[in-house]
Amino acid sequence: MKRAKGSTDPWPRIGGGFGGWLRDHALTARESVRELGGRSATTLLVWMLIGIALALPAGLFLVRVNLEVLSGEWEGRPGLSVYLELAAPEEVQDNLAALLRLRPEVERVDIVSSADALEEFKTYTDLADVLDALPENPLPASLRVILKAEVEAGGLEEVAAALDGEAGVADVVVERTWLERVNDLSAALTRLGLLLGVLFGAGALLVAATAIQLAVEQRLAEIRVMRLVGATDAQMRRPLLYLGGLYGLGGGLMAAMWVSLALVLIEAPLARLAGSFGQPLEVVAFDAGFFLALLALGLTLGMLGAFVAVQRRLTAIDGF
Amino acid sequence: MGEIEFLRVTRRYDNGHEALRDVSLHFTAGSMTFLTGHSGAGKSTFMRLLLCLDRPTRGQIRVNGVNVAALAPRQLAYYRRHLGVVLQDPHLLSNRTVIDNVALPLRVAGEGERDAARRARAAMGLVGLQGKEQSLPRELSSGEQQRVGIARAVAMRPAVLLADEPTGNLDPMLSREIMEVFRQFRALGTTVIVASHDLALIRSLGERVIALSAGAVVADSNEESFDPADLVDRA
Repeated sequence: MKRAKGSTDPWPRIGGGFGGWLRDHALTARESVRELGGRSATTLLVWMLIGIALALPAGLFLVRVNLEVLSGEWEGRPGLSVYLELAAPEEVQDNLAALLRLRPEVERVDIVSSADALEEFKTYTDLADVLDALPENPLPASLRVILKAEVEAGGLEEVAAALDGEAGVADVVVERTWLERVNDLSAALTRLGLLLGVLFGAGALLVAATAIQLAVEQRLAEIRVMRLVGATDAQMRRPLLYLGGLYGLGGGLMAAMWVSLALVLIEAPLARLAGSFGQPLEVVAFDAGFFLALLALGLTLGMLGAFVAVQRRLTAIDGF
Repeated sequence: MGEIEFLRVTRRYDNGHEALRDVSLHFTAGSMTFLTGHSGAGKSTFMRLLLCLDRPTRGQIRVNGVNVAALAPRQLAYYRRHLGVVLQDPHLLSNRTVIDNVALPLRVAGEGERDAARRARAAMGLVGLQGKEQSLPRELSSGEQQRVGIARAVAMRPAVLLADEPTGNLDPMLSREIMEVFRQFRALGTTVIVASHDLALIRSLGERVIALSAGAVVADSNEESFDPADLVDRA
């Protein structure tokens, strides 16, 4: 036991110094893990609740990031699709392609025959049998025109206008419209994500605070004895903060599991959706950083919830 | 270490009841004193004030020259580490073994696991609890539980030992042994204050006796020599 040497303090601190502080943390961590095991049903329930509260905003965050990536890729490649009339002969397609390639704004023109379009459609939908049963191919041939990255929206409209009225052209679709929708969706998701993040974050915090409040009530006798034998407020708070942290950490882990599960469930339709825009499915941002951020968020909210619950209650507990 | 002064201490509750009235007392370091008096005389309030579980309405309680009622929370915790407390209900932690209960103040003070266990065993030896280290409190008799509380109080070798009816659940022989343990600590410089109704025990030990009645000191054997039974009658 260390007492401060040469101290003039009439009640010098008795304590093990930094080593004692570390020992206390180690002991508290061990006991907190043991306590979680001892109340496994409650622990699981709290983990699930915090996990659900974190999973939704986390999932929205992933969707938003991926939409941004997707729209970013499209923004670098402004383009349009030129759909030909069903009866248009093949040379119309070739002539139009040649004409477009002469324009300075155009970087590339891909020719998609009606047969290619049909194959693509079969690949990205479950309608292969239905399509095979049709007497003839209902899809028109088309030209996919990719403009140079530096071309402004006005240039896109100019090319589209030039094609309007050309023989054999049925429709011209400017992809910017789709882009704008993606961007609008992304902006809406950002706001929704923030709102839900705050609401569900507060929910996770309240779940942790309530669980810790119950733990405090169960530990009243221990807290009183600890106060009597000279525990500081920090020492009395510590086991409860650890407990809150473990609740939050488990909740973060659960949230990661929920998000993974959701991704597995929506992977197939997502792949089809991405494919229909000529993009391979590549979910970004669900990586080690995202996983660690979820754990850190859970840990922080759990400890914060515990702090709120403990701080409110500790001051009211004094003596026997 | 362990000089205690009550300077005109009054504790009045919101309902107007005065649990202590203008009490002035001095306890030298290394002394042993019995507080006696009927229920409601103010013994428990005296203990609570000294433990800083309550604060005086008026007056000061100085321990080693410091007004303990004015201590900041952290200093208060450090102050309490110098106190050993034995309560009538030992308030043992039911989910911890006896040795863990006894070692609790040592762990709070940052003692290493091995040293804490060693010192806890030594304290248990002083009160005759060898072999009960791994028992849970519910497996012990009330007398044994009380001794666990005493072992917990002395494990830290406190500067001040406060005991509120420590022998209430013990047989006379064991009570006497516990008082001898307290005397050993007194000999080491610990200031011992025991609140007790056990007049036979108090009389047999010949230590200082203070009688309280309705929150006031009615007799102090340091000022006049009395049979404790007379002091209580007077109270």
